[in-house]
Amino acid sequence: MSNAMTVEKFSFGQITATYKKMPGWLQNFTNATLGMTILLFLWWVGGVLIESNPDTEAFAAFAPGPALSALWGLLGTEFLWDTITSSLERILFGLFWGIVIGVPVGVILGYFLAVRQIANMPFQFLRMISPLAWMPIAVLAFETWDGAIIFLIVMATVWPIVFGTAHGVQRIDPNWFRVARNLGADGYQMLRRVIMPAIAQDVFAGIRLAIGVAWVVLVPAEYLGVTSGLGYAINDARDTLDYDKLAAIVVVIGVIGYLLDTVAAKLIKRYSWNLE
Amino acid sequence: MGSSNIWITDLYHYYDKKQATPTLEDINLTIPKGQLTALIGRSGCGKSTLLQMIAGLLIPSEGSVRINAHTVTKPSAKWNMMFQKPSLYPWMTVRENAALGLVFAGTYASKKDRVEELLDMVGLSEHKDKNVQQLSGGQQQRVALARSLATEPDVLLLDEPFSALDAFTRSALQTEVAQICHDYGITMVLVTHDIEEAVAMADKVVIMNHNPGRIVGSMDVELPYPRDRSEPQFIELKEYLFAEFEKIDQAKQAELEKQLAS
Ligand SMILES: Nc1ncnc2c1ncn2[C@@H]1O[C@H](COP(=O)(O)OP(=O)(O)O)[C@@H](O)[C@H]1O
Ligand SMILES: [Mg+2]
Repeated sequence: MSNAMTVEKFSFGQITATYKKMPGWLQNFTNATLGMTILLFLWWVGGVLIESNPDTEAFAAFAPGPALSALWGLLGTEFLWDTITSSLERILFGLFWGIVIGVPVGVILGYFLAVRQIANMPFQFLRMISPLAWMPIAVLAFETWDGAIIFLIVMATVWPIVFGTAHGVQRIDPNWFRVARNLGADGYQMLRRVIMPAIAQDVFAGIRLAIGVAWVVLVPAEYLGVTSGLGYAINDARDTLDYDKLAAIVVVIGVIGYLLDTVAAKLIKRYSWNLE
Repeated sequence: MGSSNIWITDLYHYYDKKQATPTLEDINLTIPKGQLTALIGRSGCGKSTLLQMIAGLLIPSEGSVRINAHTVTKPSAKWNMMFQKPSLYPWMTVRENAALGLVFAGTYASKKDRVEELLDMVGLSEHKDKNVQQLSGGQQQRVALARSLATEPDVLLLDEPFSALDAFTRSALQTEVAQICHDYGITMVLVTHDIEEAVAMADKVVIMNHNPGRIVGSMDVELPYPRDRSEPQFIELKEYLFAEFEKIDQAKQAELEKQLAS
């Protein structure tokens, strides 16, 4: 008994020792693989439980087996491609307007204390309203469903971008302006060489948060009226009882969301200037 | 590099119209071309205010500052200012920081070599591609110096540029900057509250009184560069300046007592 314990401890110690000797990327890879395996396992357990319960038996196709084979079937089809591109198009338009509106507002907010003090309450108030709560207004105000959905995404993305930008502007050292002015910078050069690089990382941090919220809001927003996109595909699969396809779309949503977040994280890293 | 005389005539300054005593009162001063002039005085006597007026960053309430034929009304890359903090841009390398004035002027492409030479001169040859956050305080101030010199200013204004540095780095930079002033014939104005720094660097020391800020005297320093701080003449000049400041204090004290008595 005691012998077995020591053997077990010893091998565990050896595993940690090997792990510590691995290069960083391999450690990350190992961790990611382990995490995804656990997730897959839990999904599988969920599938088994659903199947074994007579009440939920009909939904057995949610399990990893059928879902992944449905996903395999969807890969490369025009349907999946169209679904993804219509969703991405809405996200990108929404994000575009979120940036076009959010960055200038954020600059003004960060620069003028008085504006910050006045805008704080209403902005915090508006920010806490779920973008989906604007849905009835959006439907009234926009002629097309697409327009309404993009409006909802703008409502979701604009706040993190405003606050991220304002934070970046507040962190600017006033001496940077004084030195640049002293070295002969004009207004455009001040913007291009001082303000933009100074705030870029905070703007991208806002954009990363915005992408997260927008991606979450997109799916329920696409339950509305439109006949394309990931939200629509989920709704459609539910109506036609294609639960394996529904689960496959859920996987696609997760993967694309993860990729979008990775791109945003890369941009933050590219533009951040603090040395750790 | 060119060089220029600076004339300050009948200059007064009030930060606030209702101020009882002006911040600067009746300043008349000529700063000779190609030399290093030090302005010394206690903290708060108005040295930085005066320097910012020479730089065109502040406009005097009365009187004028002229550099050669021009009345100074706004900043210019021809008269550059170096501050106590280096204020480098942390997203740029050493080279990019040093080149910034040339980038603003649109002349960097044709003057790349100049930036390299200046960085070599201030001892940063091995650090050109580093991020400025990786440098020590003294090295950062050297980058700021190279940045100020890159645009070939006629006038370089220095506002206590070494006061945040350790003693060794400080005295090395003092010697180097005085050397650069004379090698390149740049007119320099140094603001400091450090008497030793003034004697180590300046051709002429101007003494300021406080509240109101006025010029109360000046002294020429005719020692050769680099200056030996342990030499009797150096020590004598330092002591003379200390004595001048004591006289100022005694006069202030006497004035105060007279006011209290009446
Ligand atoms: N922007 C300002 N507004 C009002 N008063 C100021 C301002 N800057 C400096 N002062 C005052 O003017 C006086 C001189 O300041 P300054 O020129 O910075 O002195 P020094 O550089 O000699 O220490 C001080 O009493 C200071 O409080
Ligand atoms: Mg000062």
